[in-house]
Amino acid sequence: MADLAFQAIDALSGTVREAVINLLYRLADDELIIGHRNSEWTGHAPILEADIAFSSMAQDEMGHAQAYYSLLHQLGERDPDTLAFGRRPREFRCASLVCLPKGDWGFSILRQFLYDASETVRLTALSESSLVPLAQLAGKLRGEEKYHLMHGRSWVLRLGNATDDSHRKMQAALDFAYPHALGLFEPTEYDEPLAQAGISPREDELKRQWESAVAPVLADAGLTVPEGMPPIYGGRVGQHPDALKELLDGMQLVYNIDPTAKW
Amino acid sequence: MTDTQWKVFEVFHQQARGEPHVHVGSVHAPDAEMALLLAKEQYSRRQACVNLWVIPAEAILATAYENDDIFERGTDKSYRESWGYKTPKTISDETTKRRSDKG
Repeated sequence: MADLAFQAIDALSGTVREAVINLLYRLADDELIIGHRNSEWTGHAPILEADIAFSSMAQDEMGHAQAYYSLLHQLGERDPDTLAFGRRPREFRCASLVCLPKGDWGFSILRQFLYDASETVRLTALSESSLVPLAQLAGKLRGEEKYHLMHGRSWVLRLGNATDDSHRKMQAALDFAYPHALGLFEPTEYDEPLAQAGISPREDELKRQWESAVAPVLADAGLTVPEGMPPIYGGRVGQHPDALKELLDGMQLVYNIDPTAKW
Repeated sequence: MTDTQWKVFEVFHQQARGEPHVHVGSVHAPDAEMALLLAKEQYSRRQACVNLWVIPAEAILATAYENDDIFERGTDKSYRESWGYKTPKTISDETTKRRSDKG
């Protein structure tokens, strides 16, 4: 429906513009924070090859965050560095899943799989977005996300099926992570305007797609999806676990010594 | 010296379709599929890549360096130094060039 498309980012106005700004913060902040969390494995992963792959993917996520922050900057928000390093926790719009400490390798791998499955569902939908610059960006990021999902899936299948110990750790990780992962799809007041404008599907629709994407892999890994656990919401309105403040205190430390310094 | 418990896979990297796969190093991995995934970040993140091969190192049979005298030439064999002939690489280069000239 090309006649209804928003060809340029400055074609947006009113409620739709406000909704896109909110959507971009959610996308960017998820990427920045999971990227930072996964980078905490650099130098610590179980084996060199796994370390390099996980660190490289963390860099990819940071790159995605920067691309979304650049779109925000075009919409009149502050520059990408200030958005990453100059905001307080309550200004972030990331889901709780990405804030959680890295835990053990099994947890980080499982989180990476659950998160990248959601990212794949989102980017597939956004590559059809009526907001052309966002659709183009989503199309460009899909290759990297495809690899991330292959990586997460392969690890989850192996750790789920390897030994009693690895299986037990993966099931514990899933029981803990799943309600947080459902929080990736926290509905917002912007769901309706974004869906009506053809910019992004509603969160409940994306959640449905995500559940049918992860369920068969988790089953093949011998893992049981916990039932009846309520989603953990709050991230999309700035209510975060304490872990986010701790993360930002470290990540923003150097920037905050002199925010005007030139690098 | 004991190595990790994971097997060693040799990695071959192809920069563009039609180019030969070139050995670039090795990775440790529990199986071939994981070896491909790990090799992807290890060996394609700093250069163009369209295809990777991984091969279990144990599948490779190599000559022994103590026998490297088998490669020495006992008499003048310069007539074998056939550098004037086209190699598969140059043929593929010229095929690619012909195609792009047409296109």
